[in-house]
Amino acid sequence: MQFDEIIRIALHALLDHKFRSFLTMLGIIFGVASVIAMLSIGEGAKREAIAKYQDLGVNNIIVRERNMSDAELEEVRAKFSQGLSLLDAQTILEIVPSVEAVAPQAEKETEAKVGDRSANSTVIGVTPDFIEILNYEVGEGSFITREQYDNNMKVCVLGAGLAKAFFSGQSPLGQMVKIEDQWLEVIGVMKSKAVFTETVGELASRDLNNDVYIPLTTFNKRLGKTNKLVSEIKQITVKVTDSGKLIECSEVIRSLIDRHHFNNQDYSIVIPYELLKQEENERRIYNFLLGAIAAISLLVGGIGIMNIMLATVMERTREIGIRRAIGARKKDIMSQFVIEAVAISITGGLIGVLLGLSLSFGISLFTNVTTYVRLYSVLIAFTFSVLVGICFGYLPAKKAADLKPIESIRYE
Amino acid sequence: MLIEISQLVKNYEIGDLLVPALNGVDLQIDQNEYVAIMGPSGSGKSTLMNILGCLDTPSSGIYKFRGRRVSDLNDDELSRMRNKEIGFIFQNFNLLPKMTSLQNVELPLMYAGVPRSERRERAIEALEKVSLADRMDHKPSELSGGQRQRVAIARALVTKPGILLADEPTGALDSKTGVEIMALFDELHREGNTLIVITHEREVAEYSRRIIFIKDGKISSDEKNIRKADADQAILRTRG
Repeated sequence: MQFDEIIRIALHALLDHKFRSFLTMLGIIFGVASVIAMLSIGEGAKREAIAKYQDLGVNNIIVRERNMSDAELEEVRAKFSQGLSLLDAQTILEIVPSVEAVAPQAEKETEAKVGDRSANSTVIGVTPDFIEILNYEVGEGSFITREQYDNNMKVCVLGAGLAKAFFSGQSPLGQMVKIEDQWLEVIGVMKSKAVFTETVGELASRDLNNDVYIPLTTFNKRLGKTNKLVSEIKQITVKVTDSGKLIECSEVIRSLIDRHHFNNQDYSIVIPYELLKQEENERRIYNFLLGAIAAISLLVGGIGIMNIMLATVMERTREIGIRRAIGARKKDIMSQFVIEAVAISITGGLIGVLLGLSLSFGISLFTNVTTYVRLYSVLIAFTFSVLVGICFGYLPAKKAADLKPIESIRYE
Repeated sequence: MLIEISQLVKNYEIGDLLVPALNGVDLQIDQNEYVAIMGPSGSGKSTLMNILGCLDTPSSGIYKFRGRRVSDLNDDELSRMRNKEIGFIFQNFNLLPKMTSLQNVELPLMYAGVPRSERRERAIEALEKVSLADRMDHKPSELSGGQRQRVAIARALVTKPGILLADEPTGALDSKTGVEIMALFDELHREGNTLIVITHEREVAEYSRRIIFIKDGKISSDEKNIRKADADQAILRTRG
């Protein structure tokens, strides 16, 4: 018998019992849908984490001053540590192998003003290659140049949020912003950055869109120190040539700074890439659990198919007997029932894929959970559902084929 | 010789008990014979028919079909035998209820691997032979008992089998319809088909040319149906 005939027979049998076929499919539908939805949640979380760490630079080591009270600061100063300094940054660049570049930055929380509008912001003093090392991007205008840096010019680059708050849609380029008693010319606006609410290591999260970037030289020369205890710089971002060298480098950097700071632990080192890997490992277990739960529901769906198929075989004993009497071989009966089971699982699988896609879309739409459906997860779920159909259809089909024609044709 | 049976024995095991259904049957049936097998219920006539139709296998003895030992065949070969050589006609028709007449008649050809267009052609031809071509798109539930039995006969004929096996073919029909079916059998016989009819009704058996009685698993008598045989002779004479 030709293959298309077998398929036709199987589809007819399913269409003859639409409601029952649909109920049988439900298990598979929910199984496939939940596999896809669960994996999309896992994938979404993964992508969000990668984006977050990429923001900090996957080849970067971040050395940052610990948040300390004035009393603590006084204590470390008494123990001869001057805090992070440009000298630290310079030494790291010159001494530590595999270091490609360093970006020191000074920070100050202060008020920025344009006309009668004012906003709280973080003023950050940076070097010209800051933008490249941190992987930030300018949306309009340009970033601080070497010339502006060397001549401690009174220029600034605004975060996207501030630019919007001050100039609401108009171009801020060439406009003046007042910080403390200094008037700074706006030469660029940064691209808007996603705001992450989580804290990464020692790095407290904040809205980078409210930052104002100015040359570090200008910062040191023109902005007043809050008090004498404040260190020269707040953070050094170290770019390494190869992410395989991150740990090695961080150890060298640690011993170097320890020596400069007379073993005062007034700073911490964060390696975004290592945190990313760590988080991925944790997530892997979590994803595996999610997937396993979804797979179990697929399995239960398969058992549902087997259950109904066994009942169907009983109910259709007479039909099987008639087919055998007019010449159907065992394998004809066998393939008829296996294909019926596979047809159920394929149809269920397809509906499940659609449901799973809408589920993960709905989740990202109505909750703050990010989802992302990868093609492979759809393929896995679908293939698995077809396999379930074959495996769980086999036993009932075998039972049908092994019925004795003489007995089944007399079955009432 | 089309069918040769010698010392055929069939026992059924019921618990520890061995119940004999056929107890040493010898039988020969030739091409184009029209045989009725009669006997009371429990005589073993249905068992004999099942074995003749390759639905069942004997416990011992030899069954040859066209000289080939059927008792040696495996399941696939038996399926093939049922498909190509045997046309079953059942008391309760045994049509598939969800299929139309045409689809029911096509079914044996499908299992024989006949291509679709040829299959349809031959099924229509078989339905024409039983005068039901106009009902080919009807399902069994939309047909009368007589029409259903005609569809079943068309299904049995469509593979051009070596033998037609009818098990109480009029058992579920009223007497008028029964007569029509038997008239159709007569016609099929005249066209050269070999027929074996299992029945417990004398009137049905009277249509055949040879009547075999089975009692307690053995053939108790095997005689020519003289009346019919004479009529055949008369027809031959008028033709001659």
